[in-house]
Amino acid sequence: MTELAQAIVNGLQMGFLYALVAVGLTIIWGLMEMINFAHGEFLMLGMFGAWGLSASLGLDPLLAILPLGLVMYGFGVLVYRALMRRVQGGDPFTQIFATIGLLFLLQNAVVAGFTSDYRFVGDSILVRLSGAKLTVLGITFGVPLLAAAGLALLLFLALYLFIERTEFGLALQATSEDREAAMLVGIRPTHMFAVAWGLGAALVAIAGAILVNFFAVYPQVGLQFTVLAYAIVALGGFGSILGTLLAALVVGVIQSVTVVYLPPAFKDAFVFASYLLIGLFRPQGLFGRF
Amino acid sequence: MRRALVMLIAVTALVSAALVGQRPAPAANVTEVLIGSVLPLTGNFASLGQQYLWAAQTAEDIVNNDYADLQVPLGPGKGFPGLGGVPIKFIVRDDQSRGEQARTIVEQLISVNKVHWINGEGTSGTTSIIQPVVESAGIPLSCHPCASPTLTEKGLKWFWRTGPHDKVMVASVFSFLKEWRDHGGPNDLKTVALFTCDNLFCQDNRKVAADLAPKAGFQVVLDLTTKTGATTLASEVQRLQAANADVLFFVQYTAETTVFQNDAKRAGFMPKVIATSNGAYSDETWLQAQKKTNAGAGWLGRDPTAIDLVHQRASWKKVNDIYKKYSRGQNMGELAMREITGLLWMADVINRAKSVEPAALAKAARETNMSPDQLIIDYKGIKFDDSNQNTLATGVVTQIGWDGEKHTLWPWDLATKAGFKPVFPNPSWQERDSKPKPAS
Repeated sequence: MTELAQAIVNGLQMGFLYALVAVGLTIIWGLMEMINFAHGEFLMLGMFGAWGLSASLGLDPLLAILPLGLVMYGFGVLVYRALMRRVQGGDPFTQIFATIGLLFLLQNAVVAGFTSDYRFVGDSILVRLSGAKLTVLGITFGVPLLAAAGLALLLFLALYLFIERTEFGLALQATSEDREAAMLVGIRPTHMFAVAWGLGAALVAIAGAILVNFFAVYPQVGLQFTVLAYAIVALGGFGSILGTLLAALVVGVIQSVTVVYLPPAFKDAFVFASYLLIGLFRPQGLFGRF
Repeated sequence: MRRALVMLIAVTALVSAALVGQRPAPAANVTEVLIGSVLPLTGNFASLGQQYLWAAQTAEDIVNNDYADLQVPLGPGKGFPGLGGVPIKFIVRDDQSRGEQARTIVEQLISVNKVHWINGEGTSGTTSIIQPVVESAGIPLSCHPCASPTLTEKGLKWFWRTGPHDKVMVASVFSFLKEWRDHGGPNDLKTVALFTCDNLFCQDNRKVAADLAPKAGFQVVLDLTTKTGATTLASEVQRLQAANADVLFFVQYTAETTVFQNDAKRAGFMPKVIATSNGAYSDETWLQAQKKTNAGAGWLGRDPTAIDLVHQRASWKKVNDIYKKYSRGQNMGELAMREITGLLWMADVINRAKSVEPAALAKAARETNMSPDQLIIDYKGIKFDDSNQNTLATGVVTQIGWDGEKHTLWPWDLATKAGFKPVFPNPSWQERDSKPKPAS
């Protein structure tokens, strides 16, 4: 029983991190119905940025969250204005290939600039805490992962309040629901789209700055997270922020619990099977709207 | 019937003539020797591919320039003396770590670029995909760091490997574990858990280990295979912890090894022995990172060479200096050493063949009998068996010490030369944290 509880706790902690990785995808989809295939590369840039600031300036990745978030917000806006705005009204395939092109451009640019070596943050607050543990009712919590999960949850809640409780967030939602009606009340959709891309890029880069404490940094690191992020966004319902959080927790727990009882090969199979199952009975996802 | 037979002979003769016409030009017309190099320069295995690229650039540099005092094949003098001094040229193509892409590239290298030899792809899985293409074209193919035993067990005529395969290298680990107790090691190591990734390389290792472990007196108590690209291994660690094996046989790539180390530390999991095979253990960047945390101290694994002893060779130092021109200052790891050794052997074969005609190359390759003093690596030499596998490629067992460097543990004669006292049992995470870090 403790084994199962431990697996659930492990899965929940990872789930909070997955949620922060996936939520940027949700925002962009919710507003523009556009899938960003370069989302994992934004994560990778965040990880490289955090590693670079740590290696060159000794800045802790957790303290790098603010500058990285700002820079990546600007980068997301730039990507929208320079690229995505031009293909937005075009064929969906044009949009897809634009983001796939961006994926390869970013990944290969980093390979060219930094090589494909693995890089590690050797000294940070969370790395120094890596041996610290809390044990409650026989269940062990690693302090660094617990802190990272808590931080991810805080950021997620801040985003939720921003979207749900601020005028700007309501404008984003209005644009998402009815673009023309939003224009009638003075909201500029292109401005909102740029903000969505900026937010998406900033959030996933912040996730990268947290993940860099636990994972190796290399140009292809985004892929393993992006695949999960797609499943999470689809499971939670495209465009639903709370759905993303819930789905990320479900995915984390499924991954973790499956391996306790079955060969690890089933880990991701069960994640995608759960998506298929939801798709059969609720194609819009757990919280999505059709 | 007779007319049909005549027609058949005529058609066969025409086809044969056409095929002969497509063979590479004879030596007299060769202005440069073209080596098709298909590598995973982007994608999942890019960190391996870039080491192979630097190795190719190093080999090209050595062959084409005069390193008078470098005692490796084609070191002194410029170009191939056997071909009138023509240079070597690597035509490098990136397959993005995708097997089907590699197949297409190899077809182009053969039919469009008319290369004389294919080297690649650096990973066993993709190499097994390109093998049939090159075999049917009838030109030599080599992959020196590829460790899957199956690559040379298919009866292929044109595939060559100078490096050791996993049966040899994993056997080294279990030979060491079996013999260790008679050389002052622990005598209470009875059980082993296998923890491997899911591709051809990892699974070959797993099969060999599952076969050898009982023969070495170990009971396999858990056999876990994980998918490459895992974002968490916490539950796998739980199962390994529950199995409580004395020895963890661990074959994972660098990214997954990092995930494992974090999850194992969180769970306080540390078996008495961690024995690895390639993967992160062969990755220079991972090894360097361990110096900042002590997380790799005590890990042991198979290597193709006694890396602490080979540094003393003059030829190793010189080749390493050349390699560093291309690797942005990074030293040769054992993968690069295997690759450069194989590429210089290839150059030697071409030089001895005095031709780029495939049959002449194959004959010269078969006749190889290279002594260890011509190598930058600790093989006992290069000599091939009927399957074109180098029978003198050996394995050694090394261990990462508290200094973050690898030290030779086996075979015993090399271990005596290295003079290293094995770290046993594996230090706890607390001990790792409390000890000074070599890189801090």
